[in-house]
Amino acid sequence: MAETLRRVLNLGTSARSGEEDTAEAGPPLLLLGGPGSGKTALLFAAALEAAGEGRGPVLFLTRRPLQSLPRGTGAALDPLRLQEVRLRTLWAGFPWKDCLRYLKIRFQYPPSTHELLQLLCSAHEARGPAPSLLLLDGLEEYLVEDQGPQDAAYLAALLLDTAAHFSHQTGPGQGCGLIVALQTQEEGVSGDALQVSLLQRYFPAQCWLQAETPGPGQHRLRACLDPGGLGPRREWCVAFRPNGEMTITPWPTQAGNLSLDKGSSSGGQP
Amino acid sequence: MAAALAGLTLPAVVEELLSEMAAAVQENARIPDEHLSLLKFIFGPSAIQALDLVDRQSITLISSPSGRRVYQVLGSSGKTYTCLASCHYCSCPAFAFSVLRKSDSLLCKHLLAVYLSQVTGTCRQLKVSDKQLTDVLFAEKKQKA
Repeated sequence: MAETLRRVLNLGTSARSGEEDTAEAGPPLLLLGGPGSGKTALLFAAALEAAGEGRGPVLFLTRRPLQSLPRGTGAALDPLRLQEVRLRTLWAGFPWKDCLRYLKIRFQYPPSTHELLQLLCSAHEARGPAPSLLLLDGLEEYLVEDQGPQDAAYLAALLLDTAAHFSHQTGPGQGCGLIVALQTQEEGVSGDALQVSLLQRYFPAQCWLQAETPGPGQHRLRACLDPGGLGPRREWCVAFRPNGEMTITPWPTQAGNLSLDKGSSSGGQP
Repeated sequence: MAAALAGLTLPAVVEELLSEMAAAVQENARIPDEHLSLLKFIFGPSAIQALDLVDRQSITLISSPSGRRVYQVLGSSGKTYTCLASCHYCSCPAFAFSVLRKSDSLLCKHLLAVYLSQVTGTCRQLKVSDKQLTDVLFAEKKQKA
């Protein structure tokens, strides 16, 4: 679902680089980054973006409830548990548009790999409108319980199969996107290389988040989006202020050159 | 269907071959010899084994009222393997070893048989309830456990 993430990453730019926005789901996307690299914030921003498109709901799977709303993803809210936030936003004077976006995000918290597999295997039994976007945060937490590449492959394949089923329900020309976040080791190539390589078979589009030298009082990352053959690789700077607010700007080296060569700045990425 | 699968994992040449085979079968009700030769060149012995599975009608397309579908292939050993309809996955050991671990094969014979059965339109059809389809998909995990 490179398209939704690209729109999220472009939100902070004044010029949207002339690229056409499309409602098509695009290929499944794997969001890779070390601990604390802002994966959840970007996933949540993607959820809000998709929820505002006037299509189906967004299904957000994660092992445990978010403890706070990522800032800079639509509204700055007190760090409350999300269900409480959902209710309070209705009374807090936020624009109705934002409230409706939150309400279109359905959170489910499968506590184990077994529960996640059960949820995916039975997704077709659910009633109601099919999601327009399926998100999974913390794939690594569901993989540690399993051993062997076939288990990881089955989980990845089931995620794709579930999104494909939702796409079948939503009808032609729309489809259900899929973005999965996976935590990688801090230091580039590592023991999880085999697992990442296997997952890349199922997720043609990838976005890497890499920590950069922090600026004064902020945590800065380089986001590199490879849309899986559907366009050039693009890069952004994602910065988090001490209060958690996220800001996104084009990566300086490509600000004036949006058609980056694919291999020009991969910086040791897989 | 093959195109959807191929878009994720198969090289363009295989996607094109399957597409041309489908057109040829529709026109002449048979797979041309040159297509079979190319199939054998790309997939080696798996091509013959997959065609044998198709001939023996070993592929079953299981679907439920929800529209979700999954394939099951009865292997030559008598064991049944699950192949997901929307992407590249088979539960057989050869897929785990040769495709996932060693990356020296594009497909196992069961997945190739599924693609070929789509081309020839020869797979068996089985309608089940939504709950039964959940059990088919989840059984894959239970078997591993």
